Amino acid sequence: MREGKGPHLLLRLYRKTIVIIVLLVLWWILPQFIESMYFPPLGVILAEFRRNIENGELLINLYTSLRVSIIGLAVAEVLGISIGALIGWFKRVDRYLNALFQVMRCTSILALLPLFVLLFGAGELSKIIIIAWATIFPTMINTAQGVRNLEPVLVRSARSMGVRGVGLFLKIILPSASPYILAGFRLSASISLLVLVAAEMLGAAHGLGLMINDASRNFQVTRMYVGMLTIMILGVVLNAALVWLERRLTVWQERAVSA
Amino acid sequence: MPESKEFQENACRIKAEDVGLVYHSKHRKNDPNAGSFRALQHVNISVGAGEFLSLVGPSGCGKSTFLYILSGLQRLSEGTAWINGTPITGPALDRGIIMQAYALFPWRTVRKNVEFGLEVKRISKKDRRAIAEQFIELVGLSEFADRYPYELSGGMKQRIAIARALAYDPDVLLMDEPFAAVDEQTRGLLHEELLRIWEKTNKTIIFVTHSIDESIFLADRVAVMTPCPGKIKEILQIDLPRPRTPAIKSSSEFGAYRNRVWQLLQNEGERTEEVITLDGRKHLSTVPQEVSI
Repeated sequence: MREGKGPHLLLRLYRKTIVIIVLLVLWWILPQFIESMYFPPLGVILAEFRRNIENGELLINLYTSLRVSIIGLAVAEVLGISIGALIGWFKRVDRYLNALFQVMRCTSILALLPLFVLLFGAGELSKIIIIAWATIFPTMINTAQGVRNLEPVLVRSARSMGVRGVGLFLKIILPSASPYILAGFRLSASISLLVLVAAEMLGAAHGLGLMINDASRNFQVTRMYVGMLTIMILGVVLNAALVWLERRLTVWQERAVSA
Repeated sequence: MPESKEFQENACRIKAEDVGLVYHSKHRKNDPNAGSFRALQHVNISVGAGEFLSLVGPSGCGKSTFLYILSGLQRLSEGTAWINGTPITGPALDRGIIMQAYALFPWRTVRKNVEFGLEVKRISKKDRRAIAEQFIELVGLSEFADRYPYELSGGMKQRIAIARALAYDPDVLLMDEPFAAVDEQTRGLLHEELLRIWEKTNKTIIFVTHSIDESIFLADRVAVMTPCPGKIKEILQIDLPRPRTPAIKSSSEFGAYRNRVWQLLQNEGERTEEVITLDGRKHLSTVPQEVSI
């Protein structure tokens, strides 16, 4: 049996990334032999990437996309956690609202997009609302489940010490449900990027979705890849950050499987 | 010893007068048990300051329910319960409850758990820390102050639960079978530790258990409760010397008390039976009754 915590860090890193590295290298080399306008070599894309950073185009698009999705997500989190907690705590609220939320959740967000554009215009407001709509459900459902799973003995214990109302929510219900809420948040965050790009493709002044769509329509294939690569990196970084956050905030949980 | 204690401090901490509780279950179709169920009837007792009282009886005799009434978490439907001369209307920090299930907050470290009641009391951060430290030390777990509850054993968790309840300085500790879930050896150690803490802090303790030995070993007085409906059958004065050590359990006096409690419970007839569990411990249990609450 091996001593310590399993394979060496470098070995683990190697195992994790080798397939991706091989693919990147192939992307770099192969298109130089098989010339195709649809698959420019990675080196060319990276050069375009740098040019887009330097001329500020990428930054304004990234900034617009991030801002819209963060605002939408923030709105969804505040509402989702509050409504989710109410649903989880009060059975009556759940009984009355459950069917409505199921219908809302199951309706494709893109089908509703034209309505939001009609109501709120083609600007950022409609996108923020769309993102809030799409991301509220994972957080809400997870929060409700977390609150339902609350140990009654903990509530009783807190009550015996005179904790009630808002105090009970902040000191007991929220921390107890936090692992569920964080898992929902991670899901919501990835959905927010997904939906944002789709919404931007349908029309926007700036944004990564617009950039990709615009480049594709104008046969600027390299620029299109720059947009895609940016979204890819954004998604990976976001997910890693959220996983890290989740671990940080749930160290108190016993883990059956170690990291 | 117990008498002198009563003379020294004849202040009455807890008093129950004709306390009764009737549960009304919701009426459902085809449910023969629907209706009301009497959990407690005419419970009268007064507990002096600094006294250690045990409530012993089989499960279903309402001992825990009575404890929850004293804690304020359970409403009573008849009579009145007082603490320090004021009727009990809800939970407050003048009483600390320690439950059978480990009720530590899993997202808080040991230290933060012990500080919880102090936060509710709005005590400053600096003082909270000092007080918590003091009580964690009292239960002998200083080196575990920054651990999370999942890293502790059952016995340690209950010691922290005791520290948490003591930290906000209640007059009365209400203990609901606190050591029922820990192993035999640990339980013995916890008994001695509890007595040591009790003598040091001079709290009033009401201790609910279904173990006859435990009730006698710890208490100044043992209130024997019987079910259907739950009531106090008799209150025994336990005149065993203190400090008590496990050796006392094999004395003839202890045996006499044990027999006396046993008789009181036996007289209830077939409703109570002795159950010996796999680990050799004796329990009292009622024959299962159809009860709907």
